[in-house]
Amino acid sequence: MSRPDFSTRGRRADVGTGDLAFLAAAALALSLAVTSAAGAWGDLRRAGRDVDKVQRETEEVSRQVRAHEARQAPDTVLSARALLTADSPPPRVLADLETLLPPDVRLLALTLDYGEGLDLALQVAARRAASYDLFLQRLQESPLFTGVRPGEEVRDGEVRAQVRASYRSRRR
Amino acid sequence: MRGAAGRPRRVSPRGPRAYNESCVRPFRGELTVAFDASGVSGAVVSRGLRGPRLRSFARASLEPGALLPQPLDENAHRPEEVGAALARVLEGLAAGRGPVSLVLPDGVARIGLVEVPAGVPPDQYVRFRWAQGLPYPSGEAIVDVLPLGGGRAVAAAVRRGVAQEYEAVAARAGLSPGRVDLAPLAALSALLRDPPAEAAGVDVILGDAAYCLAASHGGALRVLRNRRRDADGGEAGRLRREVDRTAAFAGNGTGPLRVRVVGPGARHLIGELLRSGRAAGPGWETDGGGLPVEAAELAWLGGALG
Repeated sequence: MSRPDFSTRGRRADVGTGDLAFLAAAALALSLAVTSAAGAWGDLRRAGRDVDKVQRETEEVSRQVRAHEARQAPDTVLSARALLTADSPPPRVLADLETLLPPDVRLLALTLDYGEGLDLALQVAARRAASYDLFLQRLQESPLFTGVRPGEEVRDGEVRAQVRASYRSRRR
Repeated sequence: MRGAAGRPRRVSPRGPRAYNESCVRPFRGELTVAFDASGVSGAVVSRGLRGPRLRSFARASLEPGALLPQPLDENAHRPEEVGAALARVLEGLAAGRGPVSLVLPDGVARIGLVEVPAGVPPDQYVRFRWAQGLPYPSGEAIVDVLPLGGGRAVAAAVRRGVAQEYEAVAARAGLSPGRVDLAPLAALSALLRDPPAEAAGVDVILGDAAYCLAASHGGALRVLRNRRRDADGGEAGRLRREVDRTAAFAGNGTGPLRVRVVGPGARHLIGELLRSGRAAGPGWETDGGGLPVEAAELAWLGGALG
C-alpha cells in the first residue's frame, strides 16, 4: 500500500546508501529468481492452458447471462419504472423526506433515479452537526427509506453533506 | 577501504566525531515528527531484518492555543512555542540527518472515501470531484490518496499554505522535511493492514481537534467519516452513538462488532465503550517498554512502524 505524500515539493525518490545495499541484494535475488523461473517454465505453460480454459468458460457464461438479460430486461425494467412512478411520484417522496428534516436542516438538491428500485441522492445543509446526525438517524429508522449511505461531508461553519438512500414503495 | 569510484575513502582529519556526524548518523533510523494541538512528538524508527523497531521517542507538550489544527488559515498561532517544543523533542531523540517525515494532525485536511473510475489517476480524479467543494481554490490543494484496491481509495486534500506552515516549523528547527503525511491516514494504513478477526469493525482514530471513524465489513472499508471533536463531558457518549451509527451504515447487522481505538484519549474511550458492553480495544500495543505513553494514544505510530 503506497503511502500518500502532502509535502509542498511533491513526491520524491530518496536514494541512500541503504537503498543501494538493498538494490545489490535485489540483484542477487533477481539472479536466483531467474534460475528458479527457468525451472518453473513448465508450470507456467500448464497454468496458461488452465487460464485459457477458464476464460473460455467465463465467456460462455457471460454470453448466456447477456442473452438472458436481453430476453427479460426491457419489459421488466419498464414495468417496474411505470409502477414506481405511479406509486411513488416525486411529490410524495419529497413530502416523506420533509417530515424527517429537523428545523435547521434543509434539502439543497434531490435526485430521483427510477429503475428497478427508486434510488435517491440528497444534498443537505445543516446548521449544526447534531442536527445532521438527527436527520441521518431519522432517515435510517424510517420504514420508508433503506440503504442509507452518508457520503461526503463538508464542515465549514455549517455541515453540507451528500446522502444516498433507497425509497421503499408503500405497496411493497 | 575503497569507495565506489576506486579511490581511497578518506576519513575526515577532524576526527571520529565529524566522521560519526557525517557517515554514521544518517543510518540511525528514520525520524518522524508529529504535530497536534496538545504537543509535538518524535520517533526514530530503524528497519532491520526483524522488521521496524522504535529506537527512541520524545514528546513535548504545547500550551492550549499555540497550535490549532484547521484546514483554512494559519495553524501555529504561537510558532515560537511550537518551534521550542520541536527543539525539545529533537534533543531527546537519537536522530539521523536524513529527510524527516512530518505527520500533520487530524483536522487540517478534507478526507473522504472515493471510488475512482478505471484508467484515471486517483489524485486527478479527486481534484476534479472536490474542486467545487473545497473551501479554498482547488489550485491551492495538495491532493493524494491511500489506495485500497478495487478502484477505491481514501483521498485527502490539504491546503498548500497549511502544509508549508508545518514544513517551515521543521525547517526552522534545522530539519530537512521530506514526506508529509496525515495522522488519520497513517493510522488507517496501519489498521487496514491488520484487519480484525471479526467480519465487521469500526476503527476510531482520534486527534486533538478532529477524529475519523472507519467502518469495515467483510474485509473492505465501507464508510469513512471525519468530524471535529467537541471534547466536553458528553463526548464519549456521542462517540459511542457515532460508532453504532457508522457500523449500521457500513451494513453490519447484529453480528459481532470490534471497535479499535487509537489517538489521544483512546484509553478513556475504550473504557467507556467496554462499560457500555461493546467489544473495544486499542488499535496497537507495544510489546515492551520505551514509550512514556500507551502506544494506542499515538495515532500515527502504526504508520511510522509500518
